[in-house]
Amino acid sequence: MPSNHLLDAKGLTMNFGGLTAVANLNFHLNKGDLVGLIGPNGAGKTTVFNMLTGVYTPSEGTVELESELVSNLKPYKITRKGIARTFQNIRLFNELSVLDNVRIAFHSRRNYPIVNAVFLTPSFFKAERAVKKDARELLSILRLEDKQDEKAKNLSYGQMRRLEVARALATNPKLLLLDEPAAGMNPQETEELTELIALIREKFALTILLIEHDMSLVMKICERIMVLDYGVLIANGTPQEIQENERVIEAYLGGEV
Amino acid sequence: MKNTTNKKNLDAYLTLIAGIVLVLLNVVLLAGKMPAYYSGILRFVGINIILAVSLNLINGITGQFSLGHAGFMAVGAYVSALVSIHLGWPLILALFVGALAAALLGVLIGLPTLRLKGDYLAIATLGLGEIIRVVILNLDITKGARGLGSIPRTTNIYLVELVAVITILFTVNLMRSTHGRALLSIREDEIAAEAMGINTTFYKVFAFSAGAFFAGLAGGLFAHSMGYIAPSNFEFMRSIEILVMVVLGGLGSITGSVVAAFVLTILPEALRGFAQFRMVLYSALLIAIMLFRPSGLMGTRELDVRSALTIFKSGGEKDAE
Repeated sequence: MPSNHLLDAKGLTMNFGGLTAVANLNFHLNKGDLVGLIGPNGAGKTTVFNMLTGVYTPSEGTVELESELVSNLKPYKITRKGIARTFQNIRLFNELSVLDNVRIAFHSRRNYPIVNAVFLTPSFFKAERAVKKDARELLSILRLEDKQDEKAKNLSYGQMRRLEVARALATNPKLLLLDEPAAGMNPQETEELTELIALIREKFALTILLIEHDMSLVMKICERIMVLDYGVLIANGTPQEIQENERVIEAYLGGEV
Repeated sequence: MKNTTNKKNLDAYLTLIAGIVLVLLNVVLLAGKMPAYYSGILRFVGINIILAVSLNLINGITGQFSLGHAGFMAVGAYVSALVSIHLGWPLILALFVGALAAALLGVLIGLPTLRLKGDYLAIATLGLGEIIRVVILNLDITKGARGLGSIPRTTNIYLVELVAVITILFTVNLMRSTHGRALLSIREDEIAAEAMGINTTFYKVFAFSAGAFFAGLAGGLFAHSMGYIAPSNFEFMRSIEILVMVVLGGLGSITGSVVAAFVLTILPEALRGFAQFRMVLYSALLIAIMLFRPSGLMGTRELDVRSALTIFKSGGEKDAE
């Protein structure tokens, strides 16, 4: 039965001093799922992402990827196991070109010894050509191919968000974590993003977990939604169920029911 | 479009290498016919190029602010000098042992201190450079403050320029590889680099120890050039001098480091005519350059004929950025 589980989070807890940001969180993701993680500001959503990707080591609990314990690994090893993410506050390599941003993410997949680079061996050139080709392919999927020589900091907001996705995809993830991908986008851009998420999910056979405040996007594309409030999972179900859930309405509107 | 990008990168790369090789060849050719005073200065130009480029690898490319470069230089200088004096090994081997010792120290020091960031790392490396100097000052084998003399003066201009070219080629080739991009990504955003699957600890220690290795080589060349070294050669101000070259040339620009090392080694000599105003003028020039080119002479760019021509055509208007 657990063979269909891509990710298992068991009893995840994160304490910062006296503050419990996330308390005893249990959930799983099936292969191919597209799940939304929502909740009011400060509910602990990004903390969950940081625990899944190893930026924080959980105070308690474990994360398993395909039944393999990953929560004790360093972030770069977790990425290599197949969990990639984008950042809520955009963390591109600003002074580097768009192409280099993506090429950096191919690092672990197309590597060669340092000596090969220093002595310019044929295998170095071969690997570099392959990286360039792969990176351009990804950029064209994300419609950034004509921006490849531009510095990342000169991109428009929407383009930056797309570059973050391209970079995450370059690490060849099984699970993609998107942290507020539509933040700051206008309705037109959000519409395009929705299509893009569906496209890459299909094309790269991804499982996606996304944090989002834009309910039109979440309700439209997520098959399952989890709701966090004050670090506690208060609901977990289909968009329909979530919309009718009284505790969720209470958390969002703050009223008594 | 795609092809021109490829071609442009290759052009820039070839121009860079060709330019460096040409300049150095000229230097070497001239040196043979030069008075000892000038060829001596050129030896220091070469040694400073090695120091500046290797510090740029740590500070400019990887973004780890280190103020301890003179310490690594000292280790290379003393170890290679002692190997020459006591074991009588040939120069190349002595240099290599000295550089290796510096690199090893770079790893040992790098592992704990590279957890620190920014200002804190700068202070820690500053302290480490001073610790190295004080240790040398108090050891018997290094003859303390009296200094270590009778080192065979076997360094010549050709060897210095050769090591400088090797240092430059190593750094340029590294920069163009996935490993160089990994170093750059750490400078840009360490958390994102880690999230892209890059072992940031490894690469920081690698940059630190590779930089230390070349600084050690420079130290060895320096020792075998002077014939006499003392702890006062490797004081904190020496680290600052190298740092000034890197910042002035442009953090991250290898050609910038080379040009700045050249200019800043020759400048104090050229200003000798001004007697006691020499260092005042030197400092004033530094301030002026930093005011007008805050990102350094070269910024993060490399020297390349094509972009130089474009700037020339457009009247140099959009020079910065």
